[in-house]
Order: sequence, then C-alpha cells, then structure tokens
Amino acid sequence: MAAAVDLRLVLVLAIWVGGWIVNGLIAQRSAWNWGGYVIPLIFGITLLAMWEVGERMFEISDVLLPAPSEIAARFWLSRDILWVDFVQTVLKGALSGFVLGCGSAFVLAVVIDRFPFLQLGLLPVGNFVAALPIVGMAPILVMWFGFDWQSKAAVVVVMVFFPMLVNTVQGLQSTDAMQRDLMRTYASSYWQTLLKLRLPAAMPFIFNGLKIASTLALIGAIVAEFFGSPIRGMGFRISTSVGQLALDLVWAEIVVAAIAGSAFYGGIALLERVVTFWHPSQRGRT
Amino acid sequence: MKTFTYAAATAAMGLWGTGAMAADDVTLQLKWVTQAQFAGYYVALDKGFYEEEDLNVTIKPGGPDIAPTQVLAGGGADVTVDWMPAALAAREKGLPMVNIAQPFKSSGMMLTCRKDAGVTSVEDFPGKTLGVWFFGNEFPFLSWMSQLGLSTDGGEGGVTVLKQGFNVDPLLQNQAACVSTMTYNEYWQVIDAGLTPEDLQVFKYEDQGVATLEDGLYVLEENLNDPTFEDKMVRFVRASMKGWKYAEENPDEAADIVLENDASGAQTEKHQQRMMREVAKLTAGSNGALDEADYDRTVKSLLSGGSDPVISKEPEGAWTHVITDKALN
Repeated sequence: MAAAVDLRLVLVLAIWVGGWIVNGLIAQRSAWNWGGYVIPLIFGITLLAMWEVGERMFEISDVLLPAPSEIAARFWLSRDILWVDFVQTVLKGALSGFVLGCGSAFVLAVVIDRFPFLQLGLLPVGNFVAALPIVGMAPILVMWFGFDWQSKAAVVVVMVFFPMLVNTVQGLQSTDAMQRDLMRTYASSYWQTLLKLRLPAAMPFIFNGLKIASTLALIGAIVAEFFGSPIRGMGFRISTSVGQLALDLVWAEIVVAAIAGSAFYGGIALLERVVTFWHPSQRGRT
Repeated sequence: MKTFTYAAATAAMGLWGTGAMAADDVTLQLKWVTQAQFAGYYVALDKGFYEEEDLNVTIKPGGPDIAPTQVLAGGGADVTVDWMPAALAAREKGLPMVNIAQPFKSSGMMLTCRKDAGVTSVEDFPGKTLGVWFFGNEFPFLSWMSQLGLSTDGGEGGVTVLKQGFNVDPLLQNQAACVSTMTYNEYWQVIDAGLTPEDLQVFKYEDQGVATLEDGLYVLEENLNDPTFEDKMVRFVRASMKGWKYAEENPDEAADIVLENDASGAQTEKHQQRMMREVAKLTAGSNGALDEADYDRTVKSLLSGGSDPVISKEPEGAWTHVITDKALN
C-alpha cells in the first residue's frame, strides 16, 4: 500500500515494541525471581499505554471507546454506584447462586454415585438443563422468581449446576479398584471409604468444577440482569449506560467485574492449593 | 499478511463497486425491530419513492441490544430514527446529533396500570412498583416523576422502579402495578393477554404534559456541512414523508409491506395492521417539519429533572429546518 506512514501508528507500535524489548531483557535474566510478577505487569501497562495514546491521538470518540484514564476517573467518581451494583450482582446474585448451585450439585453427585441407577436417569437430565441457553432461561426465571436478585441466583444455579455435578461424579469415580479393595480389607464402611478415600481423591475434580463455576456465576448474574432487574446491579448498569452513551461507566463496571471475577477464581485456586497439597499438580509448586 | 492483502483488496473492490452505481447510498438505522412503527420508510422503499429521488436506501432494523445513537457515532448509518430525549442526552455527552425531520407529531408512550393494583390517578403512585424501559427510553419517565416530586430510588414516599424487559409480563403477573406501553404495541399485548380496557388505568404522556418527541430523524452535525450530504437528506426526507403519508392512507397495504420486510418473521398481520392504524394517529398532523413548540416542551420537560435532570443545559443547534424547508417546498 502506498499510503504515507502514519506517525501516530508508529508511536503506538513503538510503545508495543518497547514493552516487548523490556520484557525480553527481564526474561533473559531468569535469576531475577520477581520476573514472574513484573513481566505480566509490564505487558498490562504496555496494553493500557497503547490504548490511552491511541485513543487520544486518533481522536476516537468517547462514545465508542473511552481512554483508560477516563475510565479510571469515572471509577473513582462513581464508587458508590459501583459498590451498590457489586453488592446486588456479586454478593447477592452470583455468590448465593454459586453456593446453592455448587452445594446442591455436590450433594446430588454423592447420591448419584451411591445409587448407580440414578446415573442413568439424572445425568442426562442435568445435561439437558446445561444445554439450555441462558437467554432463554433468564426471562422465564425472572417470571418465576421476580425481578430482584433471587431470579439472578436461580440463573446462576442453572448455569453452575451441571459442570459441578459432572466434575464431582467423575471425581468420586477416580479411585481405582485396588484402593477401594484396600479399604474393604480394612472393613471400612461406605461412609468411611467416602470420607477417607474417595472424597479426598475427588478434590482436584471438585475444585476444577468450582473454578469453572466461579466464572460462570458472575457471567450468569450479569447477563440475567439484562432481562429485567431493579434499578441497580452490574448488568442493569451496563445495559442502561450503553443506551445513555455513558461508556466510561460501562467500562468501570467491566473493571469491577474483572477484579471480582479474578479474585473469586484466585480465592478458589488458593484454597485448592491448601486442600490438595498432596496432589502431583500442586507438589511441583514452590 | 496474505489474508490481509486479500481482505483489503476485496474491501477496495466493494467500495469501487458501490461507487459505480448511479444512485446515492443512504443507510437508515431504525430505533427498534421491523414493525409498522417504521412503516413510512418501508413503504417509501417498496413503492420506489427513494428510487425516484435517485437514492439507494438500506434500512437496518434495531433491537434490544442496538443503541441508534451509538450506530450513528460509529459511522454505521447516515441517519437514524431515535427519540429526542436520547438524542439530546447524547448531544450533551459530546455526540452532536441534529434533528432534521420529525415525522411523528404525537407521543405514543403511556404508563398502563392495573386498577386492581390500586392505581387510578397519579396520586396513587407512591409506594407502587412501576415498570420502565431503560436503554435511553427512561428519560421521559424520570422527568415526569421528578415533576410529580416522586423519588425513583426506592426511598420513602417514592416509587419503586423495575427495569422492564421488552414484554408486559410484570403487569400480567402482578409484579408491577404499572408498566410502560406504547399505544401502538405493548398496550395491545396487554389486551391480547386477556385484560380488558376497563381493568386498566392508562396515563398517556401526552395528557400528562410530559410528552417528549419520538421517532425523529437524526444525523451528525458535521455531516450537514457537506452540501452533497445535505442534498441527499433533502431527497431522503421528501421520499420518506411521501412514504409516511401513503402508509397513513393505506394502513393495511403498509402493514403488508412491513411484514414482507420483516426478516425475523416475528410479526403477525393482525398486530401490524392494528399498529399501523395507531401509528397513523401519531404521524397525522406532521408534514415532517419539527414544530418548535413541541421541541421547547420536550427540552423543558427534560431540563426539569430535579436533582438528576436528563440534560443540564439548554441545547444549542439540536435541530434544523434546513432540510425540511428544502424537502417540502
């Protein structure tokens, strides 16, 4: 293409290359044990800098894409709104749905495992529910459970139930015949075998299910608010702020969602490391 | 890189291809899905009114996830159908939208309440739950409530607001005492669901003196400086108004044209014919030129939003008669 080289583009690319070179240098000095934290940090800062500089120099309208600095300013100014939305969506909707959905899936998994005939009957039903699209379920659940957080929690329950169920059932079956035979030679009862052998062995699977469910829960709670809600909540704010062209507030909500989601996921991953310290995948860590 | 070059080449050929056609391209973004609310534009397209003006018009339907203001800002449309409150709010946010024509004279917005929920007058609102559309459609409601002196944040003596989905279920299920309806659409969904007009107490925004202008045509201010664009809009408005007047006189034919253009297939003939007759009542009395008195009333109602007004200062240059003067004379 014969077009003249755009200096603005050059600057944005220069930031990118600069960040790359710095990261490359740090990566080579692998003796620096803080490299593992600094490299992703520099990567993130590079992205934000490209975004900020690009948005300003190309004069992209705030209505389409606000700059990170504008989003940060909006975040600070709207702290009270963001907090109200966080309580409504994350604490009330997502967390209660997560606890209910994962809890009931866990109990059902143990029951299914105990009575094999349920495996044939209930798992397909679970599969069926998991295949229902959220945009189809959400309006129905709003109709059943009302507009407030209860219907959002119900959507979350539907979303997290199946991954949790399948993982737990799989986990309970992960012990091999030799281990179970050993328990039998000790004359252990069903419950003793379950508590001392099978549940601990299932833990990596269970945590896998919980980690998948943690991100699904947040998505479910936010999307469900698009289908009717009281006038608070992250999904409500995102959908209405787009209509009001307050894109800086939309991005501020996205930041909150990203932080909350990462913290939620990170918390479960941390708990997993404590609980399944014996597992090969965790033993390798220092 | 190869893919990129290929894509660029195809795009360039695409541009060249459209440039070679004689007619001028105009893209219209609708505020909502294909329905008789926009019959005038579909009629003008179907009857060849746009063709007569040497225009090649593309009509893009909207929907619950499409903000016309944003499509306009992103360059996805030349002209968009939107409500004035949303347009003025966008203008204050730094997106200079200008009203070039106003085919709708009256507002079709209502708050429809159940009498058995205890609402027979505006004095009954405090303590009730009211369903409201958001996504830019909440502005007329909020300014009405602030004129009544009712808080909408769920506080004591105020009203509880629900973000209503795009159906009337909250009213049918008694989850809300009132819901937002349009004379030409949702009101009939309530009736079709089995409630009778006697069961309902209806508050028209027109009658409450808080009506705001709906379904005007908006373009970006900077484009109007371009004489070619202005000329295109003059021809577009002229043909569109011809379409509207034809639709008013031939409601059943207009409804059929709308149905033919409804790619979603979600609309029914009965509903569209009824909608067209109701819409005709709203477009009647407008030749397309914006009535300044209606504009002033809209602005006044939006400015009087109490502690949280929709717009904080009197807009400047938010409308123009240039296009309609040329189109209609």
